[in-house]
Amino acid sequence: MVEAFAVASGKGGTGKTTSTLALGMALAEEYDVTVVDADTGMANLLFHAGLADVDVTLHDVLSGSASTHEAAYDRFGMRVVPCGTSLAGFRDADPERLRSVVADLAADTDVLLLDSPAALGSKTAVLPVVLADRVVVVLNPTVPSLSDALKVQEYARSYGTETAGVLFNRVRDEDAVDRVGEQAERYFDGPTLAAVPESDAVRASRQAGEPLLAHAPDSPAAAAYRSAATSLDVRSGAAGAVADRFRSAVIPDPP
Amino acid sequence: MSLGDGSVDIPHGRLVYSRVVDDVGVALATAFERSLTGYAVLTPQSALLLDDAECVLTFEAGVPVLAYDVASDVGGTDALTAFSAGGPCRTELYDLPADALTVAHDTPELRVPPGAPADHLADDAALADRCRARAPDDRTDDPETDPLEAFLADEERIAAIQEEARADAERRAAEWGLDDHLDG
Repeated sequence: MVEAFAVASGKGGTGKTTSTLALGMALAEEYDVTVVDADTGMANLLFHAGLADVDVTLHDVLSGSASTHEAAYDRFGMRVVPCGTSLAGFRDADPERLRSVVADLAADTDVLLLDSPAALGSKTAVLPVVLADRVVVVLNPTVPSLSDALKVQEYARSYGTETAGVLFNRVRDEDAVDRVGEQAERYFDGPTLAAVPESDAVRASRQAGEPLLAHAPDSPAAAAYRSAATSLDVRSGAAGAVADRFRSAVIPDPP
Repeated sequence: MSLGDGSVDIPHGRLVYSRVVDDVGVALATAFERSLTGYAVLTPQSALLLDDAECVLTFEAGVPVLAYDVASDVGGTDALTAFSAGGPCRTELYDLPADALTVAHDTPELRVPPGAPADHLADDAALADRCRARAPDDRTDDPETDPLEAFLADEERIAAIQEEARADAERRAAEWGLDDHLDG
């Protein structure tokens, strides 16, 4: 079985990468989980997962100099495919290969989480949302962030991608989000998965190069992510169908 | 300048800054860094030709105090949700002596929490924190007003955002050759 989720937000700074890895680790207690840094232009998952020094990344696979399995690392109970950050790597990467990379990975996992670019302005950026089964929308409890989240959902809807849930991140006033969460559910197709409190532990785990659930497993933020993962009803899909969808997807623009 | 029904008067200040900035966040950060006491007139670039598309914010030592959206004639946190804050905007900052705003600032329905404009116009949590930290301890603002709740209650505005995003998605799908993937 496999279900592919795009973890998305309309703008940067919502804590999307932190959320992707935290959800991944929480889901890994029950499923085989693969996390891919699909943000090939602004990669940062490698810093969050202690993979900053690895030799082979998605960029090498996309440039044809490495195989998918060489860029997949077993870390924190998940398979993690980081992307490099060099301009040269980005320049040499052939986005066309991303489809087959993801198709390869989809054939051999339960849950595929695509850390998606925080933008909707290019084909490469929107492709994970187009191809995923469902989208997990990460937002901060502010008007601009909510407005962006609604836009992401509308893009996803346009491509027939459902909303699995909404994750409020960097929450300072949980009571306010409780009230707002209910209102928000009127507009989002999926449930409010959790309200993750603003936390110094998040910053500390990023500095330590560890996902939050590894660095501060007892923090309230980690507990919120575990609760979000429980609320996410992973559906079993046919691995072949997901793989085929990625293989048949149109080729993104070159960078 | 009069705000609302004319009951709140703000004296004309001395223009100290005037330019088009990339987004409202730059305007708020500039007012903060200059410790502006006075007011800002913000006009989204998309509405430069309209007479009343402005948002007026007052400041004490760079920290926002009042907000008023001219087009929708609403004040306080409602003004923050009404103002169309995305993209570049013309920013004018005016200086005033602190006591010139004392009367105007005693208008509860126009007051906003110190961090609310940075949070809800600019999505700048760091600046919001700095505004909250600099605000005087005895400052009282209406805790009942939540811009996010006001935004979510505005079904018409949300429908407009959704409609625009959907049209945008479909237009770009055609541009990017993704038409085949569109649903229905």
